[in-house]
Amino acid sequence: MNGSPAEARWLVLLLRQTTWRHWRRRLGSTLLLVGILAHGVGVFLSIRLASRAAVSGFSLFTESLTGESDFLIRPVSGDSLPEMSAREVRQRLGALPVAILPVVEATAVEVAQTLDAAEPGPLRLLGADLVALRNAAGDSVPEVSGDVGLGRDDQAFVSPDLASRHGLSAGSVFDLSINERRVSLRVAGVLRNDPLRPAVPPHLLLMDLPGLQQLVGRPEKLSRLEIRVADGIDAERWRREARRILTSAASDQGWRVETPEDRREAVAKMSRAFRLNLTVLSTLALLVGVYLIFQALEAAVVRRRSEMAILRSLGVGAGTIRRLWLLESTVLGILGGGLGVWIGWAAAQVTVGGVARTVNSLYHDTATRSAALHPTEAIFGLGFGILASLAAGWLPARDAAETPPAQMLRSGSRARGLAWLARPGWGVVVGLVAFAISWLPPWRNGAGDGLPVAGYASAFLWLAALSMMAGLLFRPLSRWLVGMGDRYSSLVVAGSQLRRPTGRHRLAVAGLVAATGMSAGMGVLVHSFEGTLTGWIGQMLRADLYVAPAAANQAGAGSVLPAAVWRSLAADSDVAGVDTIRRLPVEYGGRTIRLAGSDYHEDAARVMQMRWIEAPEPGRTPQALRAVADGADPPAWINEAMSRRFGLGRGDAITVPTPAGEKTLSILGVYADYSDEGGTVLTKLDRVTEWFGDDGVSNLAAYLKPGVNAEVVRARWQVALPAASIRENARLRADALRVFRETFAVTYSLEAIGVAVAVIGLGLALASLLVERRDELATLKSIGFTRGQIASAAAVEGAVLAAMGLVAGLILSLVLGDLLIRVINRQSFGWTLDYRVPVGLFIGLSLITLLTSATVSAWVGARSARLKGDRSE
Amino acid sequence: MNGDPSLPTYPTPGEALRLDRVTKSYGPRRVLDEVSFALGRGERVALMGPSGAGKSTLLNCIGGIDRPDSGDISVAGQSLSRLDGDGLSRLRRRAVTTVFQFFHLLPTLTAAENVAFPLQLLGVDRADRERRVAELLAAVRVDHRADAWPDELSGGEMQRVAIARALAPGPDLVLADEPTGNLDSATGDAILELLARLGDELGFALLLVTHSRHAAGICSRSLHLRDGRLCEGPFEA
Ligand SMILES: Nc1ncnc2c1ncn2[C@@H]1O[C@H](COP(=O)(O)OP(=O)(O)OP(=O)(O)O)[C@@H](O)[C@H]1O
Ligand SMILES: [Mg+2]
Repeated sequence: MNGSPAEARWLVLLLRQTTWRHWRRRLGSTLLLVGILAHGVGVFLSIRLASRAAVSGFSLFTESLTGESDFLIRPVSGDSLPEMSAREVRQRLGALPVAILPVVEATAVEVAQTLDAAEPGPLRLLGADLVALRNAAGDSVPEVSGDVGLGRDDQAFVSPDLASRHGLSAGSVFDLSINERRVSLRVAGVLRNDPLRPAVPPHLLLMDLPGLQQLVGRPEKLSRLEIRVADGIDAERWRREARRILTSAASDQGWRVETPEDRREAVAKMSRAFRLNLTVLSTLALLVGVYLIFQALEAAVVRRRSEMAILRSLGVGAGTIRRLWLLESTVLGILGGGLGVWIGWAAAQVTVGGVARTVNSLYHDTATRSAALHPTEAIFGLGFGILASLAAGWLPARDAAETPPAQMLRSGSRARGLAWLARPGWGVVVGLVAFAISWLPPWRNGAGDGLPVAGYASAFLWLAALSMMAGLLFRPLSRWLVGMGDRYSSLVVAGSQLRRPTGRHRLAVAGLVAATGMSAGMGVLVHSFEGTLTGWIGQMLRADLYVAPAAANQAGAGSVLPAAVWRSLAADSDVAGVDTIRRLPVEYGGRTIRLAGSDYHEDAARVMQMRWIEAPEPGRTPQALRAVADGADPPAWINEAMSRRFGLGRGDAITVPTPAGEKTLSILGVYADYSDEGGTVLTKLDRVTEWFGDDGVSNLAAYLKPGVNAEVVRARWQVALPAASIRENARLRADALRVFRETFAVTYSLEAIGVAVAVIGLGLALASLLVERRDELATLKSIGFTRGQIASAAAVEGAVLAAMGLVAGLILSLVLGDLLIRVINRQSFGWTLDYRVPVGLFIGLSLITLLTSATVSAWVGARSARLKGDRSE
Repeated sequence: MNGDPSLPTYPTPGEALRLDRVTKSYGPRRVLDEVSFALGRGERVALMGPSGAGKSTLLNCIGGIDRPDSGDISVAGQSLSRLDGDGLSRLRRRAVTTVFQFFHLLPTLTAAENVAFPLQLLGVDRADRERRVAELLAAVRVDHRADAWPDELSGGEMQRVAIARALAPGPDLVLADEPTGNLDSATGDAILELLARLGDELGFALLLVTHSRHAAGICSRSLHLRDGRLCEGPFEA
């Protein structure tokens, strides 16, 4: 690049006197272009912002009440510490100046809301020593005294959000359901948001510690201890010392020591694979934008070809022209990127709900409802927009710079395109490489999260390979067309074009291959996912009624159906039998997994069927084991995510921590589980009950006696347990599918975008192909071709190109679908899916693409035939 | 002066253009075969010959758009063979300008802006530029259409604007490839007369490709190209 002042002056001059005026004259298409880019950047950024917010929204407030805790002590298994732990910590730390704040967490449901059809929002209850907390956290906790809450199990402070939503103030009464028991609480005061601390979560209630322990029936149990080292010049030394002492006691005491930072990181790690995949998918939206901008800039170069030629005649150098077009791309990038950042921010506010729900149901609790735009993200988005636009503008700029001066410009001089596209043979080689690397194992970080790097690389190579291989179709198709030409002269004209395809022909086909390949490939994934899940859910959900504490989400193990409740349901005279399961978090291999205990109905004909990845020996399934004696070690079945993450399989042993000490289980089988990607170890319910000293269950499935009306039983139970979620089989199936559909909402929208782009991109490509040849079309007209014949020749050419792109694109989609299912999903989520081809989508996509391309080509052909070919403008 | 190869090979101070045994082939076909001639400053010469004789090819070589296979071309004493792509672009901005058969005005620029454009490339400041543009538009008699867009001009008007643009940077040599080819004969004659008058006033040399008999009236001599070889001769079509 030469950056002389004269050069800069010319660029400004040319930009002002040519580019800018073209933009103004064709304001509509300019805005469209900016809009397309903005859309790509917007989708990309919104998904980034939303997934970031969903993670950062992880309730930091509830994780560190004081906001300044140095450590948290949490149980290594299960969800409670004995109250003595606080004394234990105090004793071990001896004279070190630390404050210890014991905390209890619980969940509850607003009673008023549960009667609505809408999903009730769970409330979080935190219990802490209010006086100590106020000393530590300052003004955000209101002044407390004996009559506003200390030691009381019927008073609570509420979050500002809750207060304003229900019009609560000190003294109001508030009904909730805790452990399926109805409770009235008096509002002792409203918590205040402090700008220096994490925001108070919207659904929070704060109570005095003994009060909450009493209320939830867990006396002498704690959820965690917050430890804060006093300020002072020796604070750092004290902190190190305290950490050393606490950590050395950790394994004896069954606790684990972490800083709030550790905690936040661990939580972010959990959903990293999910978020990464989302990000990769969202870059597709950007790629698609790049493709469209590329086509549009190409079209502009073709339209302005003669102008470039005149500029060259007037002594403007080729380099200047290339830089002019790159500058044009940059300006587009700035405009589109800027608008995209705004769109992305706005869209993130919508997307965040969906992402947060997925994160909530799959990973951890998040309170996020909005996504903030960080300046770095804005700059990142803008930079990405400019980069994308420059990438899109690179070929057109090269094309423009190759324009000869007007004296040499021949009509019919054509763009070169990409040289490698003209090598269909190499496509086969690239395809073989792509196939080979798809078998490479995933890249794994320390915590065992898989990142399917080779899978993505293989997908990219396949895209290139099939784009090249599509070129193999030119010769046979053109021969066939010309052969048909005895009867239809339009076919000869169309065929003769394809016999010597230009770079632009190849690019148009390649673009279509990419666009259809990606969108149909996504379709294969979604279709396979849905098919697999529908089948799986059908096998899994065979009981008549499902009961869960409403406050539970899938990730939160905290809330249970107490033994009294679930036993009374199981003993109901209408019930033939029940399945029960209890899930508890435990630490394994440096991360939190779930230990589950289950017990199944004895009726082998009706009980749910698991889908096995590694099937146990006959009679060794969890459903059958009640009748059979266990082996030496307690039996375990692990889910697929657990198996892939930790490399475990049938025949291995696994040791997990429990409050009753470490337990070794022997793995009998590996089952498919599309509701969890963190890892679950399933064993028998009686063992879990024994180890954790807690006989509640996380949920219950009831099989009713023949002839009993499920709806009647459901209604009866709902009256007795107003806050519980009690669903009939059909309803639960529908709900489960809905959750998965929401998770895939992003992919559906990407699919729709993909189809739109395939069609619009092809239209643009065909338009520039024909505009470039308008002299030729004019010639055809002058030798007696009618406009109709020209239009039909163009339509045939367009449709044939579309067909070529479709054939290769659909093949690509089958390959991409396979990669997504066999490699990418399995490696990043640990889920095995059945491969299913969405025939309907394929047919629809083909029809739309063929029709659109024929129509657009016919229209452009007819228009071009009207233009005079012999004048430059 | 003629095509005699024995002419001195150094450029004389008074020369606008000198060709020395310029040869150009397309494949096996020799389109220009050892063409040599020179043009004095301010001289006007008509280049004639049958279609396909290589006239446009010759002009392209002189304008630095095409390169001869061998031989040398110098414009105003500067040898083109020593210039790279940038150098040739520089040449087209100032020393050698072209008037085209199809006018080739920039469609997004008004008549006045089209004329001003080469001056802007040269970095001429606004006041000088405006003065020069006004003078030129007046000289080619389209000053009343200064703010019109190219597509609002007649063919003759477009060609006048194109001539004004070609003259704006004060070239040593103007190349015109059938500038009247796309105009009716009366308009064409007027254009040729305009070129002659301005040539006398401004002193640029003109190499004019034309089939028009009227060219005789404005040129001092004619060169004939036939089968790639040059011969000087009387005016004839
Ligand atoms: N790029 C090219 N490749 C091959 N042959 C060429 C090329 N350009 C010109 N020619 C051939 O060179 C010869 C001279 O062409 P040129 O355009 O110079 O003719 P001309 O004298 O200007 O004719 P006309 O009066 O018809 O414009 C022609 O026979 C032409 O076919
Ligand atoms: Mg010619």
